[in-house]
Amino acid sequence: MASIEIANAVKSYGAVDVLHGIDLDIQDGEFIVLVGPSGCGKSTLLRMIAGLEDITSGDISIGGTIVNELQPKDRDIAMVFQSYALYPHMSVAENMSYALTLRKTAKEKITDAITNVADILGLSALLERRPKALSGGQRQRVAMGRAIVRKPQAFLFDEPLSNLDARLREQMRSEIRKLHRRLGATSVYVTHDQIEAMTMADRIVAMHDGIIQQVGTPIEIYDRPANIFVASFIGSPAMTFLEGTYEIAANGNAGVRIADGALIPVLPAQGATANQAVTLGARPEHIGIVGDDKGGIPARVDLIEPMGLSTLVHVSLAGNPVKIFTLDRPDFAADSIIHITFDMEKIHVFDTKTQLRLPPQSEPHTAKTA
Amino acid sequence: MQAGKLPVARRGVISRRLSGILEPYLYVSPALVLIIAVMLMPLILGLSYAFRDIRILNPFSGGFVGMAHFQTLLTDDAFFGALANTAWWTFGSLLFQFTLGLILALLLNREFPGRRLIQALVFLPWAVPTFLSGLNWAWMFNPVVGPLPHWFTALGLMDEPFNILSDPDLAMWGPIVANIWFGIPFFAITLLAALQSIPKELYEAASIDGATTRQKFISITLPFLAPTIAITLMLRTIWIANFADLIVVMTNGGPADSTQIVASYIFTQAFRRLDFGYASAIAAVLLVLLLAYALGVIALRRAMTHADS
Repeated sequence: MASIEIANAVKSYGAVDVLHGIDLDIQDGEFIVLVGPSGCGKSTLLRMIAGLEDITSGDISIGGTIVNELQPKDRDIAMVFQSYALYPHMSVAENMSYALTLRKTAKEKITDAITNVADILGLSALLERRPKALSGGQRQRVAMGRAIVRKPQAFLFDEPLSNLDARLREQMRSEIRKLHRRLGATSVYVTHDQIEAMTMADRIVAMHDGIIQQVGTPIEIYDRPANIFVASFIGSPAMTFLEGTYEIAANGNAGVRIADGALIPVLPAQGATANQAVTLGARPEHIGIVGDDKGGIPARVDLIEPMGLSTLVHVSLAGNPVKIFTLDRPDFAADSIIHITFDMEKIHVFDTKTQLRLPPQSEPHTAKTA
Repeated sequence: MQAGKLPVARRGVISRRLSGILEPYLYVSPALVLIIAVMLMPLILGLSYAFRDIRILNPFSGGFVGMAHFQTLLTDDAFFGALANTAWWTFGSLLFQFTLGLILALLLNREFPGRRLIQALVFLPWAVPTFLSGLNWAWMFNPVVGPLPHWFTALGLMDEPFNILSDPDLAMWGPIVANIWFGIPFFAITLLAALQSIPKELYEAASIDGATTRQKFISITLPFLAPTIAITLMLRTIWIANFADLIVVMTNGGPADSTQIVASYIFTQAFRRLDFGYASAIAAVLLVLLLAYALGVIALRRAMTHADS
C-alpha cells in the first residue's frame, strides 16, 4: 500500500490543456473519488496515474517514487475499467492469474491466490467459464478479482459501475466499500455519479474543466460547497439557485432580495457588501412549505413528483424553478399559490461574479478551494 | 344421380388439399426458378460435358463417352504436373500474401499522419485489372523493357540480366510475385478491419498486467484475428487455385508447361485445343478437390471452436 502525490500535473493535447496544474495528496489506504461531469479531466488524471497517458508537466509519485517515466507495469498498480476489459479468450481463472503468470509466479502460489480471491468475490463456481458466459455483475467481479489478486500498491477504478443496472450498482457500491475496508488499499475511483462519490469516498475530489474545484469529505462537500459548480453538481435532487442582491439592515440582519422584490433572510456572509450581486443556493430539503399566514414567500406550483418516501414539489419563484423536498404528501393543484420559507442556517450565499461561496460570519474560515 | 354427386364433392376436397400443399411452393417458385436457371443448370450442363466428346473443330463429335476422359486424365502427365504446380502456385502465393498482409495491417493499425490516405492507396493493387497487372509484371521481368533483371544482376542474384519467365526452373516465381503484389491488399484490409475491432482497453489492461508487446500480440491480437485468418485463408486458397489470369497473361503456362496450373490447363484444353469435353472433365476434378479442401477446413474449424468452448 502506498500514498500517491500529484504535484502540479498538467496534461495538454497540442495547444489544448485538459488538466491545468493538479495538486493532490492521497493518503496511504485512502478511498478517493474523482467526480465531475464528462470532459472534466478526471479519467485523464486517473490514466496518468496508471501510466496510460503521458504527463505533460509536473510529477506523480506512488509510494514516494516519481513514476512519470515508468511503464504501467512497473508502477505496481491495478486498474478496473468501465468495460471491464476482460480477456475474452481466457477463462475467469486465467484472466485473474494473467499478471501473476507473466511475472512467473510459482504455480501453487497462483492457485492459492486465485482460490482466495474467488472466495472473497463469490466466483469459485465460475473459474472455468469464459467472460461471455457471465452476467454483467459477474464480469465486474472478475475485473475486481483480477485487480485484487496482484496485491498492488494502489487500485484505480475508471467508472467501474456505469455498465450495471441500478440495483446491481447499489449492491456493488457497498461491496467495493467493504472490500476496501478489508484490504485497506489506496484507491482512486473515477465517477460522474455524485451518489457513488457521496456514498463511497473517504474524500471527494470535485473537478471541472481540468481544475480541482474542491477536496473534502462527502459531508464537507455537501454542507459547505466551495462554489456554485460543486453546489450544483453534488446533491440529488439538485440545489436551487436564485440570483439577487445582498442587503444588510441597520440591526445587522442580512438578506438576499430576489427579482420579484421578496427578501430572503440569510446569515451575514463573510466579505459580502451591501448591494453586491449574489446567488442564493438552497437544497430542496432546506426549503419548507408554510401556511398562508406564516409569512412565507408566495410561489406558484408547477409540478408534484411523488417518490414514495418523499415528495418533490416544483414551484416557480419570481420566474425561477425551485424544488422543495418534503416527507409530507401534499396535493396542491397545479398553478395554485403556496408559501415557502428558507432555512437561513442552511442556505448558502455565493458571489455571483466569482462563483465562490461566501461563508456565514459564524463559520470558522476553513473553506477549501483550489 | 346420387352416386355421381359424391365423387364430385370428394374431388373438390382433394383439389383443395392439393392446392394447400402446392401453395407454399408457388410462392417460392420465382426464386427457385432463378436459382435453377442461373446456378444449377450451367453446373449440370458443364458437368455433363465431362462425359461427352465435344471438340469444336470436329462436327461429328458430341457423343456420350462415359468415363473415357477421366481414364485419359489418370495417365495425363501434364495434368499431374499442373496439379503439383497448382499446389506450389497456391501456397507460395498465399504464404507471402498473408504474412506481408498481416505485417501491413499491423503497421496501418498504428497512428501516424496521413494514415487514411495510405490506407486508401494500399488498396490500389486490388483495384487494378488483373490482365493489366499481369502485363505490367511481365514487362518488369523482361530485361529489354523492365528494370528488375538489371536490379537482380546489380544485387548479385543474377550473373547477367535474363527473363526469369523463360527459365523453366524460375518461371513460376514471376506470376507468384505478381499475385503476391495483387493479393496483399485483400489480407491487409480484412485483417486491419479485424484489428480495429479489438477494444483498446484490452491492451491497456494487459500493459498494466505487465505484458510485453509480443505477449500482447500472442494473448490478445492473435485470438481476436483467428476467425478472420481462418476464413480468409480458406477463401483465398480456393480463389488462388482457380485464378489463372496472371499465368495466362504472363507465361501462358510455359515454358514447357512449367507454370501450367490446373486452371490454366483447363483454359488451354478448352480454348487452344478446343477440346471442351476434356476441359470439363479436368474442371470437374478440380471442383471435387476444392470441395474436399473446403469441407476439410470447415471440419477443422468446427473441431477447433468446439474445443474452444
